Amino acid sequence: MSLLTTRTASLIFVACVVVGAIVHSSTPAEAAKIIVLKSADVDVYNEALEGFKGALQESAIVEYDMEGDLQKGKKFLARLKSGPRPDLILAVGIWALQAVVEEIQDIPVVFAMVLNPTTVIGQEARNITGASMNVPNEQQLALLKKVSPQARRIGIIYDPSQTGFLVKQAERIAKDQGLRLVTKAITSPKDSFAALDAMQDEIDALWILPDLTVLAPEWVQYMLLFSFRHKIPVLGLSENQARMGALLGLSFESGWDIGSQAAELANGILSGKSVEEVPFTTARKVRLTVNLKTAGKLGVHIPKEILDRAAVVIR
Amino acid sequence: MTSCLRAITAILLVLWIGWFARSAEATDLKNTIRNLYGSQGILLEPTGLPFFAQESRFQASSLQGLDNLNTQLTSAIGLPSFSSSVTGFTFDMDRGIPVRTTESLGPLLTERATTLGARKLDMTLTYTRLNFTKLQGKDLDNLELVFLRDDANGNGIRDTSGPFSFESDIIRARLKVDLSQDIVAFIATYGFTSVWDVGLVVPFTHVRLVAKASAAILDQFGNPGGTTIGNLPIHRFGPNSTPPDASGGGEETGLGDIILRTKYNFLRNSGGLTPDLAFLFEVKLPTGDAKRLLGTGGTNLAGLLIASKTYGRWFTPHVNVGYEINTKDLEQNTIRYALGFDARLLSELSFDADVIGHQKPEGNGTGNHTVDLSLGVKWNPLNSLIFRANVQIPLDKDSGLRADFIPTVGVEYLF
Repeated sequence: MSLLTTRTASLIFVACVVVGAIVHSSTPAEAAKIIVLKSADVDVYNEALEGFKGALQESAIVEYDMEGDLQKGKKFLARLKSGPRPDLILAVGIWALQAVVEEIQDIPVVFAMVLNPTTVIGQEARNITGASMNVPNEQQLALLKKVSPQARRIGIIYDPSQTGFLVKQAERIAKDQGLRLVTKAITSPKDSFAALDAMQDEIDALWILPDLTVLAPEWVQYMLLFSFRHKIPVLGLSENQARMGALLGLSFESGWDIGSQAAELANGILSGKSVEEVPFTTARKVRLTVNLKTAGKLGVHIPKEILDRAAVVIR
Repeated sequence: MTSCLRAITAILLVLWIGWFARSAEATDLKNTIRNLYGSQGILLEPTGLPFFAQESRFQASSLQGLDNLNTQLTSAIGLPSFSSSVTGFTFDMDRGIPVRTTESLGPLLTERATTLGARKLDMTLTYTRLNFTKLQGKDLDNLELVFLRDDANGNGIRDTSGPFSFESDIIRARLKVDLSQDIVAFIATYGFTSVWDVGLVVPFTHVRLVAKASAAILDQFGNPGGTTIGNLPIHRFGPNSTPPDASGGGEETGLGDIILRTKYNFLRNSGGLTPDLAFLFEVKLPTGDAKRLLGTGGTNLAGLLIASKTYGRWFTPHVNVGYEINTKDLEQNTIRYALGFDARLLSELSFDADVIGHQKPEGNGTGNHTVDLSLGVKWNPLNSLIFRANVQIPLDKDSGLRADFIPTVGVEYLF
């Protein structure tokens, strides 16, 4: 290959990168303009974005990654306010939602991949809705009831500032299902150990909520130890917790599906609905992990119907 | 995106500079040793009767010896390794938030299976110093070449006794070779998707090759001056011969061989003991002027299978295995392998250790198998800024063209 040819090839290669980047960010003028603010570059957020884009192919979507830096996200949004107004902002992940809540009050916002969105969004916000990662409380309680029919008293340790709204909802649902929630409110992670010990003879099952105050690794370990000592099944938040020893782990199925849900909400808003008419959603598809080793140790029989539903069975 | 485009513009600028950074007239630095005694090799002082003319008797041998050494030396010069970078976030499913990666900042000279991340651009500038000291285990400042004489009486052997014992005279040339490279490499990696990276390495090289030689005639017993008849030496240097002392070489600066590469991470986070897996394809273009020792003069194609797995979010062992085809000289085809780990020792500091090997199955005997130990650190004082330092230490100095150690320092920024 001659020197000229190889240099030309190098330049063409780089030119392709540049053109690709420009084409990637260019959009048809007449389409709805959507700005995507992504909390960080992680696979599950990228999946959600793909799910969102897949359902909104006609829209002009421009992405911005705030790289985990709240100030960077806020600066971007501040610049955005001084330019052409987008039709909608998609906030992917909780950090992006935090930035949007602080900076944007008059542009419709849809969030995706956020756990416990009410902890971030104030009561006064009228421009925000979205697809949370939370698994519906109904499904979680129904699962516990099916796996452990004799369990009537479900223990929950929670921080009211984090998951108080979830506990209130869950209490209503539990009552309908003939269950009773035994709750202990804490405000600091160090209080959780004593709170759990105090529940020893009061509960038949333990439910781990997506509550940052009680999710320190040593605390999760302690809950699982408690579960084995007292033969109390634990409903965890993820496959990871089931692998650690929780009897069950229930999480959202995929980022792609949460992104699709967000796209449906965005579609509604772009079609003319007011944001206030579009309520938050929870994960409509869930991923169940069952730990049969734990079931054996606890003496719990897992019905075939549950095993058939499980995405992962740990044997 | 704006910062990405700005960064890509910088890449174009670097290429443009490289394009014009050629000196007007190329010198033949590559053949410094071959041409040390001129294009005809060593010619001795012509002798008249009663001796046979002796001036060209060592010519073939000297030409061949210098040519071999030249080839050995120049074929072994190449680019050191350059790795792509890995940094970013992982996702904590339980807490539903991204977690700034607490794992290592990635290896320095080898590769990890994970990629940069979608629409990320990593730009790195490195400086590497290679001061070569040994060739096949011999000190470069004390090399010795022995040139043998032609057969004078046509009996097919070099007589060691009798009237033709002067056939066993030799010329011993002692060479002092000063060979070094300073390489400033500009490395850019762009994540097209979350699992697919493309990148390029643009090296600017300063190479210095200066050789000095001093030749002496010895007889078969090592006596200086060679065989004599009476007081008259049969072989000798003189005013009409090639001078016994010679020197040559010089310095060159310019664009080296540009490397284009792409990495696809086809297996990730599969759980259990299964590692993350990726395939890397690399093309080294002959953009560096081979005559000026700025490039190798051939296009190389390399494929590398990469496996890595992160344990405890801080310790990542990795294995690289691959094959590199040199389209110009198939003898230089190389099996490349590396085994090592990178570990995050502090939140902003990671350490990297690797054993890096190159095996040439059909090699010409020079550096057929080289193994280096690479030790390095990366320091991440700010979000997207990483400083890196590395030293490569040959584990076997008896193979190939080797430096005592190869330091590299660099700075890296993620857009």
